[in-house]
Amino acid sequence: MKFFNITYIVLGVIAIFSSNKVNAQISKAEIRATGLTCSMCSNAINKQLKSLPEVVNVETDLNTNTFVVSLAEGNALTPLIFKQKVEKAGFFIGSLIVTVDSETVMKNPYIIVKDSGNKPKQIQVQVLDKGFVTEKEFKKLVKSYKSVATFISNNEDDFHVKILN
Amino acid sequence: MKINLKILSILLLICGFGATGQIKIGDTIPVKKLEYGVDNQINFNQFKGKYVLVDFWASWCGPCRLGNKKLVKLHAELNPNLIEIVGISLDTDANKWKKAIERDKIKFAQFNDPHGFDAETALLFGVDELPTQFLFNRKGELIIKNPTEEEIINLIKK
Repeated sequence: MKFFNITYIVLGVIAIFSSNKVNAQISKAEIRATGLTCSMCSNAINKQLKSLPEVVNVETDLNTNTFVVSLAEGNALTPLIFKQKVEKAGFFIGSLIVTVDSETVMKNPYIIVKDSGNKPKQIQVQVLDKGFVTEKEFKKLVKSYKSVATFISNNEDDFHVKILN
Repeated sequence: MKINLKILSILLLICGFGATGQIKIGDTIPVKKLEYGVDNQINFNQFKGKYVLVDFWASWCGPCRLGNKKLVKLHAELNPNLIEIVGISLDTDANKWKKAIERDKIKFAQFNDPHGFDAETALLFGVDELPTQFLFNRKGELIIKNPTEEEIINLIKK
């Protein structure tokens, strides 16, 4: 019996890992950070992002106050990690736009709340959940999507997205 | 094994860099001469015997530009025989750096290390945010980090 339990656990873990690999292929993340001080004037966010082994490169766009993060192929990251890293650096996310393949975004953990109708291979989506937009924007979004039960429940493990392209 | 050793040495290098950290009170100016092209140089030896205020900034950094205004005023009031102000900009675009100097009417020494937070001077001083200032005494030892205007004036008056 014990043996079976272990086998199931191992199989379960393998399944989770392999499904994650297929599920969440973010190739690029564009993060606009906000906070009480000038986010670009601090190296903290940059350092936090670069500490992730999946991060290939971080560029800063000084005109838009955006961190452009390139990620390694086949990574298993979800948008949550960017929120955690930015907050660890002492800032907040003002907006997060990720580039993902369209197949990924059709599945868990993504929930499309606003579609553009187009389906290119690589799509850009903005994450709309709490902590991924400004407080003010989130209040507006709650009104717009009050009928979407998962959006209102603020679950950290699903991501409500708006397709941009 | 060879690859492992390579990875290990790279890791050590990175850790070594990280360990340099920010310079501490009592440390001497970590660099004597800054040089980047013909018209972009600063030699700290020429300031020997004077207090030196090093100000890290960038043209795109709002708080730094406000700070520049204050520094320009302060620079005009201070005795140039006693203290030298040195601005080090981390701008990657030299034109924007030059334009900002013109706009902010900066008359004190300026150097542009055009690599953002990866710039060698930023690493040597351990600058992780802008603006950051370092005040060195006449012997070139760090005495105050991010000094207030008052602190600078009082020190010079002494």
